[in-house]
Amino acid sequence: MNETNLWLLFVIPAIVGALLLVIPMTARYLRGVISTVTAALLVYLAINLWGQQIEINLPWAGFGIDFQLRYYGFSQFIVTAITMFAFLITLYSTKFMVDKPKSNQFYGFLLLTEAMAIGAALANNLIVMLFFWEGLLITTFALISLGSEKAFQTGLKSFIIIGLSDLCLTMGIGIIWVQAKTLVMSEINLDTAGLNGVAFVLMMIGAIGKAGAMPFHTWIPDAAEDAPLPFMAYLPAALEKLLGVYLVARIALDFFTLTDGMRILVMSIGAITIIFAVMMALVQKDFKRLLSYHAISQVGYMILGIGTGVPIGIVGGLFHMINHAMYKCCLFLTSGSVESQNGTTDLNQLGGLWRQQPLTMICFVVAAASISGVPPFNGFVSKEMIFEGALEMGSAYRIFYVAAVLGALFTAASFLKLGHAAFFDKVDPKKPRVKDAHWTMQLPMIVLALTCIVFGVWHKLPLNGILKPALMESMDKVIDKGIHFEFGFGPLFWTTVLILTFAILNHWIGYKLTGKGLGASHHIYELPGLHQIYDLAEKQTFDPYVQGKRGGRYVVKGLFYIDRGVDWFYQKLVPATANKIAQLRQIHNGLYANYLSWSVGGLLLIILYFLLSVPK
Amino acid sequence: MLLAYILVPLLGAAIMPILRKIWQKGTDSVPILVTVYQIIITGWIAYQGIVLNGSLNLERWILDQVLALRLDGLSLVALLAIGLVSFVTVLFSLRYPLDEDRRPGYYALILLAVTGMNGLVVATDLFSMYVFLEIVSVASFILIAYQYDEFGMEGSFKYMMLSAVATVFLLVAVALLFAITGGVSFGELAQGVKTGGPVVFISFAFIFFALALKSGMMPFHGWLPDAYTASPAPVSILLAGIVTKIAGVYTMIRLVLEVFGFNSVFMNLLLVVGAVSTVLGAFFALGQKDFKRMLAYSSISQIGYIMMGLAAGTPLGLIGAVFHFFNHAIFKSLLFLNSGAVETATGTRNFDELGGLAEKMPVTGTTSVIGLLSTAGIPPLAGFWSKLVIIVALWMAGFKFFAFIAVFASIITLAYLLLLQRNVFFGKIKQGLEGIREVSPVVYWPAIIMAAITVFSGILFPLVYDKLLNPVNSLLGLLAK
Repeated sequence: MNETNLWLLFVIPAIVGALLLVIPMTARYLRGVISTVTAALLVYLAINLWGQQIEINLPWAGFGIDFQLRYYGFSQFIVTAITMFAFLITLYSTKFMVDKPKSNQFYGFLLLTEAMAIGAALANNLIVMLFFWEGLLITTFALISLGSEKAFQTGLKSFIIIGLSDLCLTMGIGIIWVQAKTLVMSEINLDTAGLNGVAFVLMMIGAIGKAGAMPFHTWIPDAAEDAPLPFMAYLPAALEKLLGVYLVARIALDFFTLTDGMRILVMSIGAITIIFAVMMALVQKDFKRLLSYHAISQVGYMILGIGTGVPIGIVGGLFHMINHAMYKCCLFLTSGSVESQNGTTDLNQLGGLWRQQPLTMICFVVAAASISGVPPFNGFVSKEMIFEGALEMGSAYRIFYVAAVLGALFTAASFLKLGHAAFFDKVDPKKPRVKDAHWTMQLPMIVLALTCIVFGVWHKLPLNGILKPALMESMDKVIDKGIHFEFGFGPLFWTTVLILTFAILNHWIGYKLTGKGLGASHHIYELPGLHQIYDLAEKQTFDPYVQGKRGGRYVVKGLFYIDRGVDWFYQKLVPATANKIAQLRQIHNGLYANYLSWSVGGLLLIILYFLLSVPK
Repeated sequence: MLLAYILVPLLGAAIMPILRKIWQKGTDSVPILVTVYQIIITGWIAYQGIVLNGSLNLERWILDQVLALRLDGLSLVALLAIGLVSFVTVLFSLRYPLDEDRRPGYYALILLAVTGMNGLVVATDLFSMYVFLEIVSVASFILIAYQYDEFGMEGSFKYMMLSAVATVFLLVAVALLFAITGGVSFGELAQGVKTGGPVVFISFAFIFFALALKSGMMPFHGWLPDAYTASPAPVSILLAGIVTKIAGVYTMIRLVLEVFGFNSVFMNLLLVVGAVSTVLGAFFALGQKDFKRMLAYSSISQIGYIMMGLAAGTPLGLIGAVFHFFNHAIFKSLLFLNSGAVETATGTRNFDELGGLAEKMPVTGTTSVIGLLSTAGIPPLAGFWSKLVIIVALWMAGFKFFAFIAVFASIITLAYLLLLQRNVFFGKIKQGLEGIREVSPVVYWPAIIMAAITVFSGILFPLVYDKLLNPVNSLLGLLAK
């Protein structure tokens, strides 16, 4: 029975999603209702399965590629989280998407995405995981392309970037297959010497490419502008982080035993992502774009936390993952609420919304406080744990701690700016007053904001109830002693206080200098040195996709000539040969006697052959 | 149970004239019921064998020592192919413009052909094989000329006259072998041929000749393009899809397995003739301007593949041959269905008059692309796997040159089928064809079914290989004894 439920968990959304794509429906709300009900059913199924251990093994393609699923502490955590986010966002979309073009396909792909994500989290065979992982790539592309006119280009960009990182993942899996001689995820255990190290790096690229860490992040800010908003809350904010970081954790904890060098590599990626993305976020002037850079920056924390290899860092990294999914999802939903009521997310045109959209404002404040690490919200707890993890590494690794602290400082600063500009700044008197969004859009935001508070104040609950069982298996390999999930109001607490004080001070200075909430980061933008870098970044100089496209021009030229050659082969050479050979058919002149003579000739030859080869 | 395979279609054919008098509308349903029954019952036996026993078991049914019938993995695959192809043929015939008065007779002949093929498949002695072969052939002669048109008559005549030569030699061979071994059952023959001697080899030569002619291998293929092209569209589906495959190819596989054994003299001959058919058939196909004629030459080429797989003489080669035999039945009938649909819609099969049909006939266009890709051996479609297995088997058996030939022919196959697609379905629509419409669902659903089978048996190849094809190998165990 439980096995059936496990199957249903990803078969139902796949089937319903596919049906929604093909069934033409004119009713405006019916699709939304069907997908919401389906998503709710999946939440119920996931909760029903909670706490069980299920393994499914079915022969599939042979050669060790079997259809293997495993439901245990870790995957149950990811799967349940996926179903819940999917439900909230589907509910949110019923109103948000109703009059958008192509909303008919949106729900179908939403559910297909959920099916793929659940499948990827459940998979216990690397090939099965890869199957669902690539499925996710396709639905991601489809969902982005449903947005504005430019969305197709952005979709293509995301497709190529994620596709490349997935290619690395595939190669990594190939090497693992050779090295470990198995594809069963729960049986792989390698060191990182030699070829194994290559596999580790390739797998890691695949995982962080999905999670959106640098340098695989560049499509996310573009998608924030072009893709339908629920997509942003759904994939880059929630599901991709869940899956990407899940895989990072599996790779770093289960598949490989890391050396210090590898650890530093992973942590460096985390630290670089934190700093650079948050600096970009600081100067953004669009609500959604700013959020999208934070979605990148926060991945850095998770990777940094897991990369420490210190228990509290790992737990903190994963806790940060789920926290981030909640508050970033909530933040994107508030931006959607602002967009649907005001028609824009350009911060220059927004302001004073706290009077008109009080509930949205409250949800925003809670989520922003969480991401900024204000006690007692959840982001504070997980960030503290990551700080502590970075500190426990020893004094040689202090730089990562500094990076994390700096990241936190700028995160707080940019959210002070964002909130100030969008909700509290002076209103343009000509701008029409708006009402707050529909309840189906507010409910998901409220739920997420409340969870942010619950997970912060009663953090022992998720730490012991969710993360402990999830990491039980992997952590045994990391330490032999008991796992300590505690964190205290030690000196680190005062670090946070210091960070927040600095952030507020910085905001106050910026506000005084420009007189606008939006201008609070202007003095940082104008800093000598930084200014030039920002200019280059805005010209997309640092976007590997854009640079790759520029470099690709020569490749394209070469391919053009090859193509001409192939054309010549098919359009000139082949028809010419075909014509020559076609003349052969003249020998089929349709005369029965002719055919008969061939046959008899053949018969004689056969008899001759047999007579010659008869053993004497 | 086994006798039903012969009796049910025979009964269906027998009640046709009666039904025609009392309830003419009902005549449509009988062949559908019979073929569906065959698909279901075969599927059920296969399912039972696979699920309950892990693999297909042998079932034997003997009638008074007179008529011994047997069902094993190989015949099950063949029976399934017969059921599927005749089912889509019947579906296609429902809307085919035939003289309404003569329609029941037409169905009766199709059922008779099915009877003959089924009997051929389950027979265990050379003489009943010969008898059933004749039943199939006679039914086919009439079917080809069923519209009384000039081409049909000509095609039918050529087929009949060349077949007559073949059957004469086959009968002589049966007589010779009977004289030596004192029996015609496969077991007795296998014992007898071990003694060797010129007479045995002469009869081998005769049998080889007869079966090569029946299957249309080069240079015995003279009748085949005419017969395929001249027959009514549904008949060419049946003929190309299954009749000649059962009459020539299946019998060859069966006799090699049960009687001749993998003896190197026979195998080398098969290999050379197979290779010649494969390459020349593909080249001849390249020069054709007629949809069905191109497919006919393609058939010759594909049969060459099957024979080469068989001639590799290894279990893997046998698996490849059997799988390609099944795939060929599916994708070639799919392509002939498409050609029939195109002919129905436009009234012509000439490439020069066709073009851009994919736009107007989306279902036909799409399914024909699937059929073409499978024929040309593009992964992950079924045709790719069977060709791959054959090529690998040839390589492993040491026939590296022939493996290269197989790859080479595969490229030409792709070339001529792309030519076909480009001329018929792609590009701009030809003048005068703007008004055409997609054919009726009765005609395009069979194509969809066949395309789906091709796709799924390709994607699920590991499963097919493990459960359906590997059991065929157990036949080799029989040989070893």
